[in-house]
Amino acid sequence: MKIVVCVKQVAVLGDEVEFTADARDVDPDFLDFALNEWDSYATEEALHIREDLGAEGDEVVVVSVGGAHVEDAMRRCLAMGADRAIRVDHSRPADPITVARLVAPVVQRESPDLVFCGVQSSDGVQAATGTALAELLDLPRVAVVTRIEWDPSAGRATVRRELEGGLLDVTEVDTPALLTIQTGINQPRYANLRAIKQAEQKQIAVVSPAEQGEPAYRVRRMFAPPKGEGAQILAGGPADIARRIREIVEERLK
Amino acid sequence: MTPTRSTFAGLSTWEIVFWYFLIAVSTAVFVWGVVRLILKYRRGRGSLTVDRPLSRLWRTAAIVLTHSWIKRRDPVAGAGHFLIFYGFLVLFAGTVILGFQDDFAKPVLGWDFFRNEFYKGYSLFLDVFGAALIAGLAIMAYKRGIQKPFRLRYWRPDRAENEDGRRLYVIGDWAFLGILFFLALTGFLLESFRIAETNPSFEVWSPLGWTVGKAFRGLGVTGSTAADAHFVQWWVHGVVALGFVASIPFTKAVHMLASPASVASRDEQAGKELSPIPADAKPDEVGYGTILDFPPRYLVQLDACTKCGKCHAACPATNSGYPLSPRDLILDLREVAEGALGLRHELHVEPLRDPHASILGDPIRPETLWSCMQCMACVEICPVGIEHVPIINQMRRRLVERGEMDSTLQQTLESIYETGNSFGEASRKRARWTRELDFDVKDIRKEPAEVLWFVGDYASFDPRNQLVTQTLARVLRHAGVDFGILYDAERNAGCDVRRVGEEGLFNHLREENVAAISNCTFERILTWDPHSFHTLRNEYGAFDVDWKVVHHSQLLLELVADGRLAPTKPLDYRITYHDPCTLGRYNGVYDEPRQVLASIGTELVEMPRSRDNSFCCGAGGGRIWMTELKREDAPRPSEQRIDEAVALGGIDYFVVCCPKDVTMYEDAIKTSGHQGEIELRELTELVWESLDLASPVPVGDRGGEEEHA
Repeated sequence: MKIVVCVKQVAVLGDEVEFTADARDVDPDFLDFALNEWDSYATEEALHIREDLGAEGDEVVVVSVGGAHVEDAMRRCLAMGADRAIRVDHSRPADPITVARLVAPVVQRESPDLVFCGVQSSDGVQAATGTALAELLDLPRVAVVTRIEWDPSAGRATVRRELEGGLLDVTEVDTPALLTIQTGINQPRYANLRAIKQAEQKQIAVVSPAEQGEPAYRVRRMFAPPKGEGAQILAGGPADIARRIREIVEERLK
Repeated sequence: MTPTRSTFAGLSTWEIVFWYFLIAVSTAVFVWGVVRLILKYRRGRGSLTVDRPLSRLWRTAAIVLTHSWIKRRDPVAGAGHFLIFYGFLVLFAGTVILGFQDDFAKPVLGWDFFRNEFYKGYSLFLDVFGAALIAGLAIMAYKRGIQKPFRLRYWRPDRAENEDGRRLYVIGDWAFLGILFFLALTGFLLESFRIAETNPSFEVWSPLGWTVGKAFRGLGVTGSTAADAHFVQWWVHGVVALGFVASIPFTKAVHMLASPASVASRDEQAGKELSPIPADAKPDEVGYGTILDFPPRYLVQLDACTKCGKCHAACPATNSGYPLSPRDLILDLREVAEGALGLRHELHVEPLRDPHASILGDPIRPETLWSCMQCMACVEICPVGIEHVPIINQMRRRLVERGEMDSTLQQTLESIYETGNSFGEASRKRARWTRELDFDVKDIRKEPAEVLWFVGDYASFDPRNQLVTQTLARVLRHAGVDFGILYDAERNAGCDVRRVGEEGLFNHLREENVAAISNCTFERILTWDPHSFHTLRNEYGAFDVDWKVVHHSQLLLELVADGRLAPTKPLDYRITYHDPCTLGRYNGVYDEPRQVLASIGTELVEMPRSRDNSFCCGAGGGRIWMTELKREDAPRPSEQRIDEAVALGGIDYFVVCCPKDVTMYEDAIKTSGHQGEIELRELTELVWESLDLASPVPVGDRGGEEEHA
């Protein structure tokens, strides 16, 4: 059994923020970095499945894209109990489609039974990498998963996913498959400092980026939205308020 | 007629032979039992031997012989045990003397000393101590059967009614008292029948036997009737006595062996300085997860427990509806040890246990371990030296190693790692409290100062505590103390991180603090946080640092004594003082805060639980970072404490000298419904008031409401 978990080191904003000189990104001096919250649930879920169903030699492999500094987040996953980590060396910011293109050949080579991604990243909040990766790998995929019952011998998993409006859907999927994991599916374990220090000794495999093609979008400028004149409080029932909002938006777009 | 008696009067040779055979059997069973125990203890991890054996021996002898630990907080029970102990010891010694006379002195040396004056003295001595034994047993039976204090009841907070599984212990307790009483009684009857038989005048030296013997004669029990009764009684007493000796390693009586051994092996720094985890430890060698992880001396301690329940009565968790009783934790572990390594395992008596099976979950539930405040009340009062606190800490370490913990605690530990403080605040905000001052506080990293003030997390970030911190800064400046702080280089000292069981993070914090402090020039370290005080003073030794660390109560006293602080306005307040666990029980600092309070004129009224019996506020051991585990209807430890203070009557101020106490008790005054009846003051705030300087210090009007995660 092999499960690949794609993780991201996300940027966390402090109290104050400034942009880089070219105004295309946030100045890294104002950022802290951490393992994406969704990815810690994905990692925990993979470890959990390995512990429940796995045998000797089964692996949880963590894959990430970024410069050497993203290894901190990867080491957090190793400290939780992941067996190996592979970093695709790519230091420039990348959009979800580009990330999926960079990760796809690495995952392909590992030929895992399951691929997990977090539903989204807390800094990008685009929720696109997982789906794009499934498409590139030609794998069935289920998004926003909150429960997994997998029968590896049958090559089939019953998964529960969250839909909008509090609805749940239980569906079956043939494995190998790609699942994007929602928070709350489990309780990610604490990566203790002893384990983190030991993970620092572990080698993280670094691979060169493959052909990445055209980016899906380019950031032209980042700026703080101009401060408005003051808020307007809308009164009335929901329908009235909706109507009023539509009027305001239409007016502004003119 | 020579005053003496014959041990085997009226017994035929084969009966005497049979008697010696019984002695051999009894001794053999006893020895086999002791060997079994030692084999059990050897299964533990690590060595059976202890350091400094001689000094430990003397210390143990003093503690056991004077009953200095046993008599604490219950002098009546202490007296009961004292009478039983010396009664039993003297009667046992009497038997040994008799054996020496009959089997060695007389036949081998031809020395017959068991007569005349020696015999009379012997008789009197044994009679008096026999009576003492009975009196002691009566006291204990009264305690257990009639008075039934909380500590002796087998109710436990972590199981449902009738689920305590302690029925065998109740039987064992009474059987132990019963058999000793039976032995004492049959001993006296035996003596009385003997005296009734011939009524020799010298036997008046056995006053009790003489009196009862006379009564027997009055009833016509004399001559051969008495001799027959004596014969029967002789065998009954003898066989039961030999049976008792044989049973010692297998029953409650085992404490006669295990408890002194436990006292001897007790680490005097137990709980105060936790043992490090070896750098090369594998995950299943971190902390305790199976019974085989326990070192031999802890396995001895499990058998040493006499179920006196003093820990149970002192524990703030047990007494506030948390699922933890230190007594029951130890008894559960003893059950595991017996079922996995002990005699029960050997004889296949259920419940059996796999020695390699995890003890975490069953029977030791994680919520039980997380309930502990590591306040040391149990370790401090245990009369047999059991080290509950480090044992709990070791099991927590295993849970931390497995990554299993409450999510609030997990978030706190993660933010301590990321930010260096438990508030998850940026380091640059650590010294923001100084902005309210009308003077600058030295950055000790840049310029030397006499005093390096290690502020601590709660004192730095919590709004109510910032007021105290600012007041202390003003007091120090007023007294002309040259001090500086570390600004953003200070990290959480790691006291509670270590007590949670996160040794790796503790080491990390310690390294960072040592690196920051070692680059500064100062004479001593000051802190008003007892947790930081304890850890900086006692737990940074691995780095070979030689710091002199003082608590602000000590420094304030010094400043008053030197005249650098002159309390001009006498404060005629009626106050009570709460000893912080890490200052009092951990470090023995009891008097300095009280002396400061006396120097400013306040009238100190002690709460029933003070000094070493202080009752934890409920925040210790990392509990302040965890979600609530107690039964909803039970009052919090801090609320019970405020009730205790209010019950003293007419108390103006509840005085504390620990930032976590400020937070906990400001909250408890509100939630216990005593708002308006009593107010909280930190020691420094009263000192400042007594200095009668113009600028008022706002107190108690903000903060203290929320528990920070």
